[in-house]
Amino acid sequence: MLRLSDPGRRLNAGLVVMAFVLSLLAGRLVQLQGLDSKVLQAKAADRREQSEKLPARRGSITDIAGHELAVTVEAREIYLDPKVVEPAKRDLVATTLATELNRSKEEIAAKLAKTTSRYAVVARDVDPLHAKKIMSFGFRGVGAKRTYYREYPGGRLAGGIVGFVGVDGYGLAGMESAFNKVLAGRDGEQSFETGGEGQRIPMTRSTRQEPVPGRDVRLTIDRDIQWAAQEAIAEQVKASRARSGSVIVIDVPTGRIVAMANAPEVDLTHWQDSPPGDRRNRAVSEVFEPGSTNKVITAAAAIESGTVRSDTVFRVPDSIQCADRRLKDAHPHPPESLTFAGIIAESSNVGTIMAAERISSQRLYDMFRAFGFGARSGVGLPGEEAGLLPGWQGWSGSQRCTIAYGQGISVTALQIASVYQTIANGGVRVTPTIVAGTTDGHGRFVPAPAPKRTRVISERTAREISLMLEAAVGHDGTGTEAAIPGYRVAGKTGTAMRYDQECGGYCGYTATFVGFTPADKPRLMALAVIQDPKKGHYGGTVAAPVFRNVMTFALKTRKIPPTGTKTPDVVLRAHR
Amino acid sequence: MTIPRPLATRPPLGRAASRRPLWRRVLSRRVLSRRADAHMARRSAAASLDWWVTIPAAVLCGIGLLLVWSATRNEPDSSLLTRQALSVGLGLALMWLVSRRDPRVLRAYVPVLYLIALAGLVAVLTPLGRTVNGSHAWIFLGSGLQFQPSEFAKIALILALAAALGELREGERRPGRGAVLLALALAGLPIGLIMFQPDYGTILVFAAISAGMILVSGAPKRWLAGLAAAGGLAVLLVWLLDLVQPYQIQRLMVLTDPDADPMGLGYNATQARIAVGSGGLLGKGLFQGEQTAGHFVPEQHTDFIFTVAGEELGFLGCAFIVLLMLFLLWRGLLIAARSATPYGTVLAGGVVCWLAFQTFVNVGMTIGLLPITGLPLPFVSYGGSATISTLTAVGFLSTVRRRTALPG
Repeated sequence: MLRLSDPGRRLNAGLVVMAFVLSLLAGRLVQLQGLDSKVLQAKAADRREQSEKLPARRGSITDIAGHELAVTVEAREIYLDPKVVEPAKRDLVATTLATELNRSKEEIAAKLAKTTSRYAVVARDVDPLHAKKIMSFGFRGVGAKRTYYREYPGGRLAGGIVGFVGVDGYGLAGMESAFNKVLAGRDGEQSFETGGEGQRIPMTRSTRQEPVPGRDVRLTIDRDIQWAAQEAIAEQVKASRARSGSVIVIDVPTGRIVAMANAPEVDLTHWQDSPPGDRRNRAVSEVFEPGSTNKVITAAAAIESGTVRSDTVFRVPDSIQCADRRLKDAHPHPPESLTFAGIIAESSNVGTIMAAERISSQRLYDMFRAFGFGARSGVGLPGEEAGLLPGWQGWSGSQRCTIAYGQGISVTALQIASVYQTIANGGVRVTPTIVAGTTDGHGRFVPAPAPKRTRVISERTAREISLMLEAAVGHDGTGTEAAIPGYRVAGKTGTAMRYDQECGGYCGYTATFVGFTPADKPRLMALAVIQDPKKGHYGGTVAAPVFRNVMTFALKTRKIPPTGTKTPDVVLRAHR
Repeated sequence: MTIPRPLATRPPLGRAASRRPLWRRVLSRRVLSRRADAHMARRSAAASLDWWVTIPAAVLCGIGLLLVWSATRNEPDSSLLTRQALSVGLGLALMWLVSRRDPRVLRAYVPVLYLIALAGLVAVLTPLGRTVNGSHAWIFLGSGLQFQPSEFAKIALILALAAALGELREGERRPGRGAVLLALALAGLPIGLIMFQPDYGTILVFAAISAGMILVSGAPKRWLAGLAAAGGLAVLLVWLLDLVQPYQIQRLMVLTDPDADPMGLGYNATQARIAVGSGGLLGKGLFQGEQTAGHFVPEQHTDFIFTVAGEELGFLGCAFIVLLMLFLLWRGLLIAARSATPYGTVLAGGVVCWLAFQTFVNVGMTIGLLPITGLPLPFVSYGGSATISTLTAVGFLSTVRRRTALPG
């Protein structure tokens, strides 16, 4: 047997050293795989997990008949993975993409040269068919990602109502903003595990949450009437060299807004190019002093109180002292004996003040509130203003008189429209609505809840005012330009002094005409308001023709026949 | 009274041979009669192999193949597994062939092998060489074949040192001054050549093999002390002369604080730690490791193969691999201790030194105990040259064992 020689002892020592080193390794393994294992596992998962957003398709906005006003179109984003593109094919890829996508070859070549990058966008919003063709070339490192973009087929059509989305697809204005939550749906998410270089790890767990597509919103707007309204107001604003204008058409029994046009109207496709002021929906966001159209509320308050009837005769001079101010009619005239109907028809400020003096300020104020002044209409359009209606206790001596004919308060066009809808509807105010309904998760149409209906004045008062308004359109009234042959039209002109922030006082006018047809069985009401017209300024000459054009078109489109009845004679002047 | 001479000091060859001067002995090819060699070769193949080293080596190769498969399963180039399998087959065949030879037959080829190894190390420095991962260590043979001369040089070095240190003159019980100096010269030449590549990991392996073999050869303690002092001086000189590359300092700093730059310098260390640690006790199962599948650890099929074991086989798998290796090394030491000749002792000791050093450095760097050095894990890592040469070295252990008093 071998005696352990010197080398043998050293070999034993070697074994001891190896055992020692081994225990070090084992200790470290216990530390890593035993003690720190959970922490390191979490770190490992953290390194791997990636998620990708699966965009939800945004719902459409349509008019009442389902015509699309805003629609989301599926597109492709063509991108490059420069790291993967074969160097030999870079030139070919750049040339092909440049030709197909109408880009400069240098631009694409520059993106391809950045080989450290894994994602470079070449073109967005590419038609899927076109993208398919590009993908059919089979270049490695060229990809197409599904994206969506918002299209507004109507361009300017209902721009103020529909609104627009920002580049991230989030609604910024109009219904796009107000119904963003409904329209947007919920983005899905795909999470998966990626390796050290960002590549997908095959066979690993991946979760996919499908996106929930957005729901459609159907507006009460009628595309054709909206278009006619927009054309009419745009033309008149241009012709009268006005600052802006709005038209509102409301279906009287339901309170549904059939058209709400502004001039200038924002072009939704290029909304960035229009000035910020035009991106708003003026019909609800711009406040002004209503002027004579407001006299119907004074009339309603006076008649409801029982102190005045439409045939009550007033001896009306052309001016009246009210507290510290002398208030005048639009034209000088000798004292006249006018019925209350005559006062409204001829739009006498002095006569209206005399009628208002028979009722208390509070009564007048309550009537304003009941008709919806000083509060948002409840239509749900973003940017809506409540207007300005001071409390009656704070009315100065002359303000009590001016408010009676619509100066010294401010309202929106929609608020005035709502007043006339109430009168036309027999005294029942229906909250104006713009949304007919939405689709549910299965694409079925769900009507919007029925709007609130409130009685503001008695049906008798409403009919009495309606007759007075018919007289206003008659041959002795101020609104003769609004008459539509064959139809009974009730309406009121308004020519208000316009408060202008720029000049710090009353500069220019607000010309309004608001009315409804057929007067004895109202179906549609329409309002036309033109701000600061330079060529003519009376509501009867500037706004009434717009009303007539829009209303004529709307009656034809809605196939509303004339009632065939005759306008009863209303006594305007007392003959002695 | 005659004291029986210990076997270890008995001259392995005839008197005539042992009386020849050292340099003649080293260069000589005539070490064994043809008849004796033929006799050795006739013995059965099974009897020639030492199963206690062969089986652990083969099992480690098998585990290695599975881990390489797992590490490269998402690789577009699927030939890696096939190549490794071929290397293992070739290595096992060489191991068997070598084990059938008498150690002294191997001894006969030492001068030729050593010169070929030197030629190979010179060749990588010519345009024939190829740079992979910063080391100019490969020779490209065309059609995807390449090899690493330094791996074969390790075998040549072990054989040459065994020849220098293990052939004692009559009356000698330990190698003399001349033998140690010759050994240092034989080790210094390839180390000098590898400096040019440069591949500091391999230099360390060469140094470790040389130091270990001088140690087990029974060289006098003063020599060992002198060598240790020289080594210390060399380290000091390298430090003082500012020869340390910045990346080497960074690797050391990363070792102390791997989270300092997890996406840059510390990336490898951090990712390796995460992969090994996420395996836990039992591992995620073979082919189930997400970190492996995601290729988070660079070089995970070669130098960092232990991370795959750590993640997919867990602590138990890692322990199994390390224990298997330790068993092989222990058996190797036993073979060395029981060798009938000093030549066998030194030869087996060299093999053990090599495998032990490389195993500990590789595992140590993978689990963050040592700085990162590009050394493969013997038998397990992907790499043709390394697999073939380590398996051949295991053949040396078998052949030495046959000349010992060890039981079957």
